[in-house]
Amino acid sequence: MSKGHVFLAQNSNVSYVTQAYALALSIKLHNKLHNQTCLITNDSVPDEYRHAFDHILAIPWGDDAKDASWKIENRWKIAHITPFKENLIYDTDMLVLTSNDHWWDYFKNKTICLTSRVNDYKGRPITNDYYRKTFTSNSLPSVYTGIHYFKKSLQGYEFYKWLEVITKNYQDFYDKFLPNAKQKFCSMDVNAALALMFMGTEDEMTSNACPTFTHMKPHIQGWTKATSSWIAQVGVSYSIDNKLKVGNFLQTGVFHYTEDDFLTNNIINTMRY
Amino acid sequence: MTQGVLIFAFNNSEIDYVEIAIYAAKRVKQFLNKPVSLVTDSSDCLYTVHRADASVFDKVIETTDGTGQIKKFYDGADTHTNLIWKNSNRANCFELSPYDETLVIDSDFIINSPFLSYCWDQPNEFLIYDQYNDLALWRDTSEFDYINEFSIPFYWATVFFFKKTPTNNHFFTLIEHVKENWSYYAKVYRLPSTRYRNDIAFSIAIHMMNGFTDGTFAAPFANKLSYIIDRDILVEATNNRMVFLVNKQNTTNQYTALSTQSLDVHVMNKKSLLRVIRNV
Repeated sequence: MSKGHVFLAQNSNVSYVTQAYALALSIKLHNKLHNQTCLITNDSVPDEYRHAFDHILAIPWGDDAKDASWKIENRWKIAHITPFKENLIYDTDMLVLTSNDHWWDYFKNKTICLTSRVNDYKGRPITNDYYRKTFTSNSLPSVYTGIHYFKKSLQGYEFYKWLEVITKNYQDFYDKFLPNAKQKFCSMDVNAALALMFMGTEDEMTSNACPTFTHMKPHIQGWTKATSSWIAQVGVSYSIDNKLKVGNFLQTGVFHYTEDDFLTNNIINTMRY
Repeated sequence: MTQGVLIFAFNNSEIDYVEIAIYAAKRVKQFLNKPVSLVTDSSDCLYTVHRADASVFDKVIETTDGTGQIKKFYDGADTHTNLIWKNSNRANCFELSPYDETLVIDSDFIINSPFLSYCWDQPNEFLIYDQYNDLALWRDTSEFDYINEFSIPFYWATVFFFKKTPTNNHFFTLIEHVKENWSYYAKVYRLPSTRYRNDIAFSIAIHMMNGFTDGTFAAPFANKLSYIIDRDILVEATNNRMVFLVNKQNTTNQYTALSTQSLDVHVMNKKSLLRVIRNV
């Protein structure tokens, strides 16, 4: 049964293809058992990036995000085009810092698995709802899609079908089902939470064990005064042996850096060579 | 297997740490029943001014501390003096201690219970406080959670227990390294002050021993470190009871009286501690 890591990238003023390349490098660097990667994009992929991707596929059925600045409207298509039977699906602004090969065993009896627990850079579970008022105000299951598991299966496709319907009609869904602290823009986390709610599968499709990631949005780091940029507030070092430290804390697992400036050529070149 | 307590005392022009250490040593004997050794640069003072009490110490280890720093010593909330503070050679504990298993305490950590005697009957090689209890209750104590809010957990070098193992030898060598390269580490860890502090050096070394992440090198003591700061005042200490005047919130001349019973307390107001000692 094929297993692989999948990411969808659509460049805007940011090169998400470059982010996907860095992510693919990090997966290849740390995972020895299951390190197949698939990039789904309509953007050109530089030749020097191609070695990190085992598959490069085009986004099918047109571009649902052509008018969007935050291009997430095509995400639901991933389930239908991925070449793998079992998938770990990532946002591109992530790095895998230690092996997650062992996760696949955990997913054995899952069709979809979303995390309900993410950590700050000190390893503490994040409970602050600064960015999640819609979730708490409307009692939505607090799930994150930044990295999630999808298995080609009836139930897996059903979940992704819900994602498609909700994404295409998100304003109607938000108006009808999220009356409090209304979500103003399309959010995959909110869409996934609604899908779980409609399917009644929150318990079986969420986990507080894995997948999980370190979430670097600044207002949820436990700081008394956070600015709009975590990079401006805490020291970062990336060593030649591919160890990332933030605030002198060695980072492990999957790191969701959220700020495009984090990813430097130095980090990419260190992983590459 | 030798077991004992190590106390440091480096006098300055106004505070007789040796006298405080004698008092602390007597409490150790009373409640923990272990030998006590004194590390000091003031043995003259011990053998002249406090000659009658010198025998409380099992051993007196003469050393120097060449890194005296100026520190503001409060005596209550509205009085302070700038004095020399010599407190940087905790890194040498491993070499200095004559014991295989050592409890190190600040001279102003006053023992009022047998609680800490358990450390000689437990498996961890290194114990230190990371949990604390400010007797004032109202103060912002976040500086004792992390060395700064962006950084690593804070540990108290006020009291710690160690066994002479190779791992602990590495640990104390690491503290020495941090001390010798203090300006570098102050930058790397973005410390608010460049003044050397044992607590911070220990915290950094523990973080490094833990592989720069959460780890198990430093086991926590089984209770919290209780303390008053030097803006509070110790007014009485009897057998196992202490009475304090604790600074009221947002005042410099008002206090709340409180007493403790069978509670070990770090009394940071040395001047009030000395007054109490001299009246005991």
